[in-house]
Amino acid sequence: MHIHAYEKLWLALSIVLILALVGTVTYGAVGPGVAMVADSQSTVDPGALDEDERFSEPRVEQVGENEYEAYVVAYQFGFEPTPIVVPANSTVTLHVTSRDVIHGFEVVGTNANTMVVPGEVSEITVETDEPTEYGLLCNEYCGAGHHVMEGKIHVVSQSEFENRGGDSE
Amino acid sequence: MGQSEAANAPTDDVGGEGEDFDPIGTLTLIGIYFAILVLAWVYIYFVEFLGRDLVVVG
Amino acid sequence: MSTAIESEPTFVDKFPDEARVVRAAFMSSFFALFLGAIFGIIQTLHRTDVARIIPSTDYYTVLTAHGVFMVISFTIFFLVGLFTWALTRSLDRPLINIKITWTWYGLMAAGMTLTGISILAGFVDSIDMSADVLYTFYAPLQAHPLFYAGLAVFIVGTWIAGADWFRTFLAWRREHPDERIPLQTFMVLTTMTMWYIASSAVAASVLLFLLPWSLGFIDQVNPTLTRTLFWFFGHPVVYFWLMPAYMLWYTVLPKIAGGRLFSDPLARVVFVLFVLLSTPVGIHHQYLDPGIAEGFKFISMTNTMFLLLPSLLTAFTVVASVEYGARKNGGTGLLGWLTNLPWRKPAFTGMMLAGLMFAAGGFSGMVNAGMNINYLIHNTLWVPGHFHLTVGTAVALTMMAGTYWIWPQISNKPIYSSQIGLFQVVLWFIGMALMSNAMHAQGLLGVPRRTAEPEYSGFDYPTMFGGFEELNIQIAIGGTLLFVSTILFLGNLVLTMGNPKVSGLAEPLPSPVSGAEDAPKVLDNLRLWVSIALTLVVLAYALPIAAIINRGGLLGPGVGTYPVWVAPLFDALANAAATLLGAVGDASAALAEVVR
Repeated sequence: MHIHAYEKLWLALSIVLILALVGTVTYGAVGPGVAMVADSQSTVDPGALDEDERFSEPRVEQVGENEYEAYVVAYQFGFEPTPIVVPANSTVTLHVTSRDVIHGFEVVGTNANTMVVPGEVSEITVETDEPTEYGLLCNEYCGAGHHVMEGKIHVVSQSEFENRGGDSE
Repeated sequence: MGQSEAANAPTDDVGGEGEDFDPIGTLTLIGIYFAILVLAWVYIYFVEFLGRDLVVVG
Repeated sequence: MSTAIESEPTFVDKFPDEARVVRAAFMSSFFALFLGAIFGIIQTLHRTDVARIIPSTDYYTVLTAHGVFMVISFTIFFLVGLFTWALTRSLDRPLINIKITWTWYGLMAAGMTLTGISILAGFVDSIDMSADVLYTFYAPLQAHPLFYAGLAVFIVGTWIAGADWFRTFLAWRREHPDERIPLQTFMVLTTMTMWYIASSAVAASVLLFLLPWSLGFIDQVNPTLTRTLFWFFGHPVVYFWLMPAYMLWYTVLPKIAGGRLFSDPLARVVFVLFVLLSTPVGIHHQYLDPGIAEGFKFISMTNTMFLLLPSLLTAFTVVASVEYGARKNGGTGLLGWLTNLPWRKPAFTGMMLAGLMFAAGGFSGMVNAGMNINYLIHNTLWVPGHFHLTVGTAVALTMMAGTYWIWPQISNKPIYSSQIGLFQVVLWFIGMALMSNAMHAQGLLGVPRRTAEPEYSGFDYPTMFGGFEELNIQIAIGGTLLFVSTILFLGNLVLTMGNPKVSGLAEPLPSPVSGAEDAPKVLDNLRLWVSIALTLVVLAYALPIAAIINRGGLLGPGVGTYPVWVAPLFDALANAAATLLGAVGDASAALAEVVR
């Protein structure tokens, strides 16, 4: 089979490109340590979230020095708690589930973005910087009121967070 | 619109004349495309993506 | 002159029965394009808040209709028409039994009509039917059973179409035991092989889970499982849309450019790579799904990235074939040959612009294929920005441009106006450049896809490449130009149908520079490629699907049912009950009056 020399060159460049793309993503995983939402959490009964210790009370709680866990329930058409209040300069692990259909959880303008599937728990860990406010929206069609499904994430100073008693409500 | 198709043999099976031809213009165009792809990828991955708040680390 | 005309019959002269099927399939395709375009313009103007003529809750009916009519009806009806033409033409023999051919056409049309009715009924409150589940129909959102049943019938129709083509090929093979498979037939057979593998999963999902569930035979489904089965089909289907465009680029475009295909063997390699790689990649649509291990996602990514290879090879081969034509017509210089091309022909310019947009779509596709960078763009407007470059232009514009070339071949009627055709394809390019670019940019701002009202009360989007409002205007203008372009295309075609039949329109396709005899025989060994493809599919999917079933159960971890079609029913019942109670109340009051 005759292949023109230029086409062989292009084939080689194409393979280099493909390997470079896979390489970049691998670098992102091991260098900056970007991790994928995966199967780390056990499943949950979406019809009985109030009986699940993780989601019976949607909340943000402290679990270590500068380490916090948030438990968020998405539903037609909103998020609970809202706003989600987390302290600045800390590590926050978000656990998100749905009590009805498939939703999305997107913190606008950031990399915090995940699908929310009933029966599954999406677990993503992020690091907050300075106090700020982020918009939160559902980016998966979830029914006729999909476009009104929104929330907020408030990143507040450590002292302000403690004054609230760690309670996000 | 030149020669007609051979009566019973599909034209796909009729051999070419095997003329030599170096597609240097194609190589140039696709080389430019390659450069654009690489630059755009570096920008979107390292500036847009890794430069954002709330990188997911776990 | 007249003897030359007699010696060059067109496709319709040689195969009038097959030409009728091709025309019927194209008409169905373009009818869907018409409906899809209407819903497209309503949607664009609604989303960008330029004109909201429907309530936002109906936006999702519009969106479902736009998606299903465009990417199932328009593309696949065009495909079956084009493939019927290509197979018959390249084998130079009629289909074995035209009744079977009309049977599959009828099944596809009937299936799509049922699905279409279930979607459009969503606009009529008095009919208790809706399928506002979008093109992806993720459970536990539930459509009316007719939606799933229609899709199943449609897919069965495509399966019979494939069988019709395979049987015709086998009949040809008995007559020509030692010949190489003609290139266009090779493209048809490999594409259909891929389709059988891919569509088996969505058929299983619909027939085993979604249809019984919508009929009430089972209470619940596993949303991750049905979603995974959807994407098992949902990624290769994009190549099912794309392969007709590739066929036109490889076999028709070089001819219009005045040249010949650069390499037949590489074209075969490209189609074989699509058979092998287009299915074991679907999990890249689920990078941000919980319940699927990161390792499975990584495997899917490497497969996806290697799927860039056949498209990158295609870019070279197709451009080189065009360059060959330009140089034969006196083109010189490093890039000066670009001026020696038939830019006045809408078929040529349309396909070239479609290819250029596909190159741009290649970049956003690379980003979509990257695993962790998916956090940046997942479910934002970037994604529809991407696929309006690929299926929305590389495929759709090539199909329209190809129609300008092929319609005379299947009808003996010359195109009504080449000028309108040229204007139309350029208008499409400009409209899509505006719309798609702005959609990508809004996606980077975080603007979500698939929403009626992307403006929120609690926050504003940041400003990057222009603000949200400014980009909305670009999207609205672009969408409007696309709508006008579609109407010009359809109008031109309708006027073409009114033209008288003439002779002398035949344009036979030339043989490649490097022909089939140069291609290794193993490329034609379809059995080998099918077995490797199935092995790769099993490797990519057996463990993830086992894990998903193991986690959530075959029928899901207690997930409820959310029918989009029952709510209006409840509303209607509630209204009826209220009216009844009111009437009873009035009657009893009247009765009380009488009694008193």
